Amino acid sequence: MRILTKRAGGLAAVSATVALVAALALGACGSGGDEPEDGSSASFAELQSAAEGQTVRWWMFGGDARINAYVDDEVIPAAERLGIELERVPVTDTAEAVQRVVAQRRAGQTDEGKVDLIWINGENFAAGKDARLWLEDWVDELPNADLVDFEDPTIATDLGVPTDFQEAPWSRAAFVFAADSAVTPDPPSSFGELLDYARNNPGRITYPAPPDFTGTSFVKQVVLAKGEDAAFAYLEQLKPLMWEEGEKFPKSEAELNDLFANGQVDFTMSFDPSFVRTAVVNGQFPRSTRPFLLEGGALVNTSYVTIPGDAANPEGAQVVANLLLEPALQATKADPRTLGIPTVLDPARLSPSQRRLFERAPESPHLLDDLGDVKQELPAARVAPLEERWQREILR
Amino acid sequence: MVPALGLLAVFYAGALVGALRVSFLPLGGNIGDASPAAWQALFSDPAFVDALVFTLRITAVSTVLAAVGGVLLALALRGRGTGIRVIGALPVPVPHLIVATSAVLWLAPGGLADRLLGALPLDLIRDSGGIGVIAVYVYKEAPFIALLVLATMGQSLRGREEAAMVFGAGGLQRAAWVLWPAIRTPLVLGSVIVAAFAIGAFEVPLTVGPNYPPTLATYAFESTQGDVIAGEGRAAAALLVSGVLATALAAVAVRLARSVEGG
Amino acid sequence: MAEPLRQRLTQAVLVGLFVVPLAVIALQAVADSWRAPSLLPQQLGWRGFEVAFGTGGAASAIVNSLAVALLTTAICLLVGWPAARALGGRLLPRNGLIALLIALPLLMPTYLAGFGLTEWFIRLGIDGTLAGLVLAHVVLALPYAILILLSGFNRTVDELEEMASTTGAGPLRRLLWVTLPSMRPALGAAALLSFLVSWSQYGSSLAVGAGRSTLPIVMLPFVRSDPQVGAAFAVLFVVPALIALTFAARSQRSPL
Repeated sequence: MRILTKRAGGLAAVSATVALVAALALGACGSGGDEPEDGSSASFAELQSAAEGQTVRWWMFGGDARINAYVDDEVIPAAERLGIELERVPVTDTAEAVQRVVAQRRAGQTDEGKVDLIWINGENFAAGKDARLWLEDWVDELPNADLVDFEDPTIATDLGVPTDFQEAPWSRAAFVFAADSAVTPDPPSSFGELLDYARNNPGRITYPAPPDFTGTSFVKQVVLAKGEDAAFAYLEQLKPLMWEEGEKFPKSEAELNDLFANGQVDFTMSFDPSFVRTAVVNGQFPRSTRPFLLEGGALVNTSYVTIPGDAANPEGAQVVANLLLEPALQATKADPRTLGIPTVLDPARLSPSQRRLFERAPESPHLLDDLGDVKQELPAARVAPLEERWQREILR
Repeated sequence: MVPALGLLAVFYAGALVGALRVSFLPLGGNIGDASPAAWQALFSDPAFVDALVFTLRITAVSTVLAAVGGVLLALALRGRGTGIRVIGALPVPVPHLIVATSAVLWLAPGGLADRLLGALPLDLIRDSGGIGVIAVYVYKEAPFIALLVLATMGQSLRGREEAAMVFGAGGLQRAAWVLWPAIRTPLVLGSVIVAAFAIGAFEVPLTVGPNYPPTLATYAFESTQGDVIAGEGRAAAALLVSGVLATALAAVAVRLARSVEGG
Repeated sequence: MAEPLRQRLTQAVLVGLFVVPLAVIALQAVADSWRAPSLLPQQLGWRGFEVAFGTGGAASAIVNSLAVALLTTAICLLVGWPAARALGGRLLPRNGLIALLIALPLLMPTYLAGFGLTEWFIRLGIDGTLAGLVLAHVVLALPYAILILLSGFNRTVDELEEMASTTGAGPLRRLLWVTLPSMRPALGAAALLSFLVSWSQYGSSLAVGAGRSTLPIVMLPFVRSDPQVGAAFAVLFVVPALIALTFAARSQRSPL
């Protein structure tokens, strides 16, 4: 299965910008927008009028200037046009938002929750789902949900856990690697080649230590490519050839990026497919940095938003979740000039005019326009044992 | 006295009780549902013991060095002008995390020190001995202790020192008989505060400490990075252990100080 | 060594040790691009501050943090003064339980209270309110204030007050003309630490602020993920703290 590809726009960029503005204006007037032809449109219309005047607090990671700008400059005004005041609440880690919801639960709160919407993923979602923290059965009622392919396993399950319509997809994530083309013009294309590279260039490779999310994802990829025992044999082989002979590991993706930026290692990695673009714009990476894939594909993942069951403004939150799936907003997000993150919408379900919104985005050397084969995720239950095994066998 | 104690009892102690409850009931509920699972997981984890030992070592070294450094700094700064005293206290208002980040900027491989000197002879960031952590703590806390101690180094102390000099007391004797009694209490209390802080804070070891072992507080923080709900229980338990440790240390220090004071 | 030379040397050492390493933060804040092996930034620019004040929300966070910190300082001094007085100038109170209660926020890990704060404050009905946030900061800063004020209430102050009362000065006059001036250094230090504790609070602001933006909260996400913006925030954070430090240093000139 291929992810939606962006085709070079050229002159279409100008006309598409006009189309974008028109689409936003049209899509956002009054209540409704892209209403499907079935009965749910009635209840959604009710939801939208109930949502008018509400203030929706969206707790999300606050350290990415470009995503913040996207939300502030595109999403918040769009929500305003629907009569909703969207407030972005920055946190350092999604777990902080989840911890607040749990604390509210401990205090016995049922409907005054100060967290209306959370940008969430993976383990945090799974833990909340187990504890029944999230609003249930609402995602399939959203009109724009028809534009999403819920049969796609990378959307229907979040890191191996079925979403059960408790979280709405919002954005795509794909695990990509990066190298400086000025230093490594020909990066490896498989784990085997990576090991060869390490043999020829000892001390130039490392990855974040699990349980860091990026580090765990890297280990998962090796396991997916080789099977668990062979994967750990591979990591053992790699260890003495690594940076600091594998005695020290960066603790986070940010640290790995620092090492890469300062020329200490030759590769870095991230679940954010636009991270090279972001880092180049930030001035962190040299302009010659290029993303690449291993084993012909990427581990693909979706970013979601979920609504705590005790949210004070669940109607507004649902309307915002629907808004995030508007083709116009998704197209803006996919444009490398804004973020360059692929969309979660299924191109087969878009109307021709909607599809055109995605065609005018220019290409960028810092973004992969083709994410190759989609690698399936491991079941969630295997993650913790993998992390522990890594800590036992590789770290100590 | 009552308002202060009242505030502390209601708003702080109440929160602590809540934390204790979290370690047994991460999701809330009735006492009947309480489970010691978090505590069991904590005590059966070999990493916990390693973290405990490592934390104690880092704390001991950092506190002693900060205390000594703080007194020396205070002696160098007393009686001097505002400008130089502000410089000497500069690390105090800077958050620990910023100092740690600055340390990484300077001392990490590829950092400024590397670029200046070609290469650093010593490994200071993420080294297994925790030297980076100790360095950051001493850098931050020595000026803090100096601040506390300076408050007692006023003119009257000078007067007493001069009097002692007149009576023929040498430098070391003056230090033991005049200086020490004056600064003793803020120094001991300041050291207790520094030690308690080192036991309980996680940002610095997270940024510059070794991958293994973590400190108790870092261990607590990392517990919440996996399963956030079960991890909370374990983190609360680990931090409670840290708190009890710090309190025990403080009690010992205070008892020692009292016996010296003769009270 | 001659006195002036020794002073110059101390000055140089202190500047090199404290000013230079921290000044690089200011440099990083205006470095659009700063990578090895270059000793100086490859490119300077204002992106750090633009983002901080733009989507970073620095302006409102600073206003919030400042308001909370000033309120916290005022309350800590107002409440801590009588408490320190009542403890009779004794730094190690006889009653162990009272000493423990006062010392508790200093001894317990800062993040421990965070686990129970949200739930507790919700039950008390002050979660998400400005008052709740200030109270959370106050209880964390109060021990510092009490401790420092205690060390200021020493025998000399008592003697001065006695002298003043024997000359017929009433309680208010004694307070204004004797006690407060002689306590000035301690008041300065207590105010400074109360301010700094509140100004740098992260865990408790997150726990009971319910999304209200304070400077540490908007700053922290950037610190590791975007060094330039993180450094810009750090500058915005440190400058008011330094101003507070300078005020406190000025108050240190004790009349005693």
